[in-house]
Amino acid sequence: MPAVPGLPAATARLFTLLKQLIGAQEARNEIRWMQEALTQPVAPFADSTDLKTMLRRRLNGEPLQYILGNQPFGPLNLLTRPPVLIPRPETEDWTIRLSERLLSWSEPPASLLDLCTGSGCIPILLCHLLPSGSLHATGVDVSEIAVQLARDNAALCDIAVPPEGTAAPERSGTWKRNTFLPLLGNISDPAFMAAGGLRPPYDFITSNPPYITKRDYDSLPPSVRNWEDPRALIGDPADETQSYRDTQGLTFYHTIADLLANPTIKLLRPDGRVVLEVGEGQASAVAEILDRKAHMKDIEIWKDPWDKERTVVGRT
Amino acid sequence: MRALAVEEHASLTARLLTLFDETLPTLVVPPSSTAHLSALVELKSGVGGQEASLFVADLLRAYECAAHKYGWKATVMSSDTLDQGGFRDAILEVKGERVYDLMRWESGVHRVQRIPLTESSGRIHTSTVTVIVLPLSEDQSQPEKDDLFSMDEVKLEVMRSRGAGGQHVNKTESAVRLTHIPSGITVSMQDERSQHQNRRRAFQILRARLMDRKMTQDVVERRDARRKLVSSADRGEKIRTYNYPQDRVTDHRIGMSIMNLPAVMEGGGLCDFFEALEHSHYHDCLEEVLNS
Repeated sequence: MPAVPGLPAATARLFTLLKQLIGAQEARNEIRWMQEALTQPVAPFADSTDLKTMLRRRLNGEPLQYILGNQPFGPLNLLTRPPVLIPRPETEDWTIRLSERLLSWSEPPASLLDLCTGSGCIPILLCHLLPSGSLHATGVDVSEIAVQLARDNAALCDIAVPPEGTAAPERSGTWKRNTFLPLLGNISDPAFMAAGGLRPPYDFITSNPPYITKRDYDSLPPSVRNWEDPRALIGDPADETQSYRDTQGLTFYHTIADLLANPTIKLLRPDGRVVLEVGEGQASAVAEILDRKAHMKDIEIWKDPWDKERTVVGRT
Repeated sequence: MRALAVEEHASLTARLLTLFDETLPTLVVPPSSTAHLSALVELKSGVGGQEASLFVADLLRAYECAAHKYGWKATVMSSDTLDQGGFRDAILEVKGERVYDLMRWESGVHRVQRIPLTESSGRIHTSTVTVIVLPLSEDQSQPEKDDLFSMDEVKLEVMRSRGAGGQHVNKTESAVRLTHIPSGITVSMQDERSQHQNRRRAFQILRARLMDRKMTQDVVERRDARRKLVSSADRGEKIRTYNYPQDRVTDHRIGMSIMNLPAVMEGGGLCDFFEALEHSHYHDCLEEVLNS
């Protein structure tokens, strides 16, 4: 049981600074988690090997999750690697909730597409929680580092990664395990969606797309703004190829709704479900986009444990 | 011939004593219904300020040593560390065979007498630590089907506000608090980085507290808790003294002393108390059976 007393003087000074920065209680928790991490067999991607370095990095504003190299997500402990978005507890909460309802919505094996998959946390936790062979997930992300991290996380959590380009696992019928295939691609790029890497129609679409407005982004805490990938955060990218001029952080929801409504792609099967995480205050606007653009029915809004409207669910 | 008889007499007497002392009670006293239970051991610093907190840490280590001696698995589940050293409180999870049966007699007030490290004038201080041992059932696969409580009797709160939350915040905010509305029992847990884990542990502690309450009530209702039984009912009672200057640990209920304090604190010597108390409990049960 590591305790705080007995720190070498230099480390104790850093600890005092951390207490001033994040509060005494938080600092005590964090230093204990650092000490615990140091007693573990070395994590494959964490590069801090002593407490002093860890505290220095933390004081420099780096998120604890990057320093420790992982973040618990449900019963899993996922790898984290800058600048890929660190899995959030709100996402953890709705993903667990989704896992409890998913199979009542669809006969297994179900197919799922996770857009903007990042670390792969959503499909990987679903694959972990659902019975063997009941879920075949695909994830898409625009960042190469994210796709590699998602692959590493799948391997770490013992989720099978099917080879790319072969028959979809849900159709081949030979997969007795749950599978997750992370793919590199830009969902805003019509060419990618048409290229055939995906195998629609899916039973489920999930996404935690970037939803922070440009205005909010500029005032984010430094541990978010200076360390996590803006492409995973900013909802309205200043990108020439974007066809929307939204400023409410809703661009990706428009993109997703258009994909859902596209009759040639047929991304979601009839009676399929789309499950989207949204930012504070965005739920009703996203519900309206799903209703108006994608003609979704039975739209539900789920609250997170902090009583914020966090997830919008619709049915085709 | 005489020598043979003497020899046989001795061995037969010994055997009779064994039969009488050890075998008979196990036949007459019904087998423990709690033998399968593990335990949560809660330690709280009492009077004595920082010195009491330091003794929480010492006692925690003594329990870990004892658990190790039995081959039990002991994990510190939660602790409130103080910067000056020691713990305000701590919860130790101990898993294994007969853990609860052997450790349940630890519930009560433990008194320490020694010169604190922080005391410059060399004066002996008396401080206390309160210990509560709760029964821990391993089978928690389906919390919803628990007969101790139903999920709608439990209010679950996440601590503090996360502002906008979601992508806006990457701070760890994993603390949870459970309130069991009918009993008013609350459990807070913040030691894990994962809210999911904190929630699981909080439910584990809530379940242990409720099971403890139920068992205490059952005992009272069955009226088989006599004065002599070291019952869990009176937790305010001073049960043991750890006297450092005299190198002695005394259990006041059975009047037993061990004259080697480091052996108790660091060598797993608490096991001797566990067993003596359990033995005494056996005899009390036996007496109960014979008197009824």
